[in-house]
Amino acid sequence: MSVHAAVAVSSMLLRLAAERATGALLRDHGTLFLEDGRIVHAESPATPGLDVLLTAGGRLPRSSWQEAVDRAGPHRQVGRFLVESGRVGGGELEICHLGAVFDAAFFALGPGSGPTRFRRGATHWIGSLRSVSAAAVERETVRRRELLDSVWPYPVVDSAPVVPRPAAPGQTVTPRQRALLHRADGLRTPAQLAWDMGRSAFHTLLEVRRLAATGLVETPRDPTPIPPTTLPGWVTDVDSPDIALLRRLRDALEATL
Amino acid sequence: MPGIDECLFEAMALPGALGASLVDWSSGLALGTAGESPVGDHETTAAETAELARAAAEYESFAPGPGPADDGPPLEDVIVTTRNGYHVLRFVETSFDSSVFLHLWLDRSAGNLALARIRLRDLAGELVLG
Repeated sequence: MSVHAAVAVSSMLLRLAAERATGALLRDHGTLFLEDGRIVHAESPATPGLDVLLTAGGRLPRSSWQEAVDRAGPHRQVGRFLVESGRVGGGELEICHLGAVFDAAFFALGPGSGPTRFRRGATHWIGSLRSVSAAAVERETVRRRELLDSVWPYPVVDSAPVVPRPAAPGQTVTPRQRALLHRADGLRTPAQLAWDMGRSAFHTLLEVRRLAATGLVETPRDPTPIPPTTLPGWVTDVDSPDIALLRRLRDALEATL
Repeated sequence: MPGIDECLFEAMALPGALGASLVDWSSGLALGTAGESPVGDHETTAAETAELARAAAEYESFAPGPGPADDGPPLEDVIVTTRNGYHVLRFVETSFDSSVFLHLWLDRSAGNLALARIRLRDLAGELVLG
């Protein structure tokens, strides 16, 4: 484990986990739902939710999902309803849900995510599915950051429109990469492509970094401006220019011309 | 309603089973684990087996070529045999976009590779169909 792993992603999350709290941890880029200190759900505006992931493939119709939310939402048991009504397999829902939880947590626990608030007692309508420990989610979040940087250390590709580049002769493009490149129109960002494909946002970021590393996607030049160079103090710190001396100098120069 | 834990529990019931896990090969995340890890840490094993599974899933040489899609998943297993163990990685097909596989680690003297392969195939199917 690297040095970064020792740095807590969210000290508040670990504290709430330790006191076995139940409620919603709200951050700028997402919300984590805790039950007895374990993470039972997470969502983020940056990541496609269960509804998008499950319906994008076409096997679960949007109307079927909506019906489950309408009927089981008030009882906060939508997940259970989806499985018991035969709409989704139990294991399949767990796989999809866990993927969505880690995906949303990655963005919710992102650096510089602003203030954190906790709404004690708040629960999510999806209900109880599989829970994961806060420590595991935190470790995975750190590991994912490192994984992205180990693939291609240019975070600028994460938010820029994905611009495909032609493959070199003989260069391998994997089926999942082809699916992504096919939808990349030079305008859509990785996040938008993730929604489009019903694929996790982190998986899409990772794929885009892999594509950029092999030159199949443009790596834009970092748009952050270079900070203006500051001159050393002895150059800029002028107490009071000697006006009289400057005048005499000017006069002397003019006289010689 | 079989879930991840039941599936791993069933896998661990196979003769010679030492460890089992459900892993996402795209990210290297362990979605569930049971028993032991060969290196004492399931998360490390998940990240390492994911690299192997990803190579198999993505290199063109292993693509089965055109054929009816309902004939099963494009890729079935990756099998690694060592001096004292077997590793069977079974790809799991889901109705949504995913990249997961079951990993079963067996003791070579007690395990039966053929049986484990067939059983994992069934478990992978049951996990998804419910």
